[in-house]
Amino acid sequence: MNDSASIRVVCRLYAAMLYGYPPEFRLRYGVEMQQFFHDRCRELFRAHAGSGVWLRFGLRTVADWIGSTTRERRIPKLVQEWTVTLLMFLFVTTTMVQAYVVPTGSMEGNILVGDHMLVDKVGFENGGSNWSSYVPPHRDVKRGDIIAFRYPEDVRQTFVKRVIGLPSDRIHLENKHVIRNGQTLDEPYARYTIPGIDDYRDNFPTAPDFYTLGGGRAMFANNVQGGEVIVPPKTLFVLGDNRDNSLDSRYWGFVPDNYLVGKPLVIYWSFDAPTNDYVDWNLRHVEDVALHFFSKTRWERMLTHPRSQAAQ
Amino acid sequence: MKKPPDLLPLTPPVFHILLALADEERHGYGIMQDVARQTNDSLQLGPGTLYGCLKRMLAAGLVEESEERPDPELDDERRRYYRMTALGRSTVKAEASRLAGAVSAAKVKLGLAGGK
Repeated sequence: MNDSASIRVVCRLYAAMLYGYPPEFRLRYGVEMQQFFHDRCRELFRAHAGSGVWLRFGLRTVADWIGSTTRERRIPKLVQEWTVTLLMFLFVTTTMVQAYVVPTGSMEGNILVGDHMLVDKVGFENGGSNWSSYVPPHRDVKRGDIIAFRYPEDVRQTFVKRVIGLPSDRIHLENKHVIRNGQTLDEPYARYTIPGIDDYRDNFPTAPDFYTLGGGRAMFANNVQGGEVIVPPKTLFVLGDNRDNSLDSRYWGFVPDNYLVGKPLVIYWSFDAPTNDYVDWNLRHVEDVALHFFSKTRWERMLTHPRSQAAQ
Repeated sequence: MKKPPDLLPLTPPVFHILLALADEERHGYGIMQDVARQTNDSLQLGPGTLYGCLKRMLAAGLVEESEERPDPELDDERRRYYRMTALGRSTVKAEASRLAGAVSAAKVKLGLAGGK
């Protein structure tokens, strides 16, 4: 017999799967089942089956295995179904989406405090999941995209902001307006809530000051040229839509692209509660939700999608 | 010994496995191939389903093991062949006429009788 190495590997994998059956079943039928599986692989291989056929064969084999192992082990259908559901849930929540609650108003106008959203981890080429390059609909990050990412100053926190600058973009602000590569942006999504000009915030980049964090100091030291920030390779420059009250790239610098988690997919629940309740878990918040679930849920936001929007 | 009516209705895999063994002895992979032919590929048995069924069919006396021998068309590996018993034959016949009765009842009710 001359099999390709790949057939030998899948056959060995199948032989391992046989340990899912009860011992007496495996000892009696295991050899025949391996022969059967091997014959099937060889037939598909000789027919030069395409990857779609192999994929379907793989899924069928897994379904057959789940169905027959639970039957031979006399595991109730209910347990089987819930186990499969749980495994799929774990797979999806660890690699494909992440649930996230917005704690602050830095995107106010488009994303509110208390928006509970699912973040799509595979939609961007460099998303938060290593799988992203294998999942077909993915694309590069564009200017104007809303992204979720790990906060570079504290990676335990996830932030949501809007991408303003891609690598090699030149950016500065003049009286609250963003000027990118020499062009003043018209930003329909931006909100200005505090009258008056703060030089650091609204005429960025001026010199670092008391509020500049570690990454921001590095940005001022290395990436400011002629009164403009130049976005270095493999990083993003992000701003909150609530421009006057947003802790963003102006203060802590660039987002390395491997800190990207993904793009907000859908708001599944929006509950009107103050920032504190989302930062520190407390009993009062539980009570608040229990008592005011219907009145404080922002029903009109449910199942909406925070959109990326390009500046003019 | 059980009588055929006690075993009816048969599940589709068991019914088609018995049909596959109606004309000749087959090994597991041969059964799967014949079932796929019978059903235009709509029933493709996986190894777990097939051998689970065979186990229960052996216990019920519908099939029995034949000797191990190589399949001349596949390779020189020895395979275990299965053969249908007399009980298996009468059971599959009973199931087939039960299904035929159900189909003719359906034709009457749905107005399919006579023409197409």
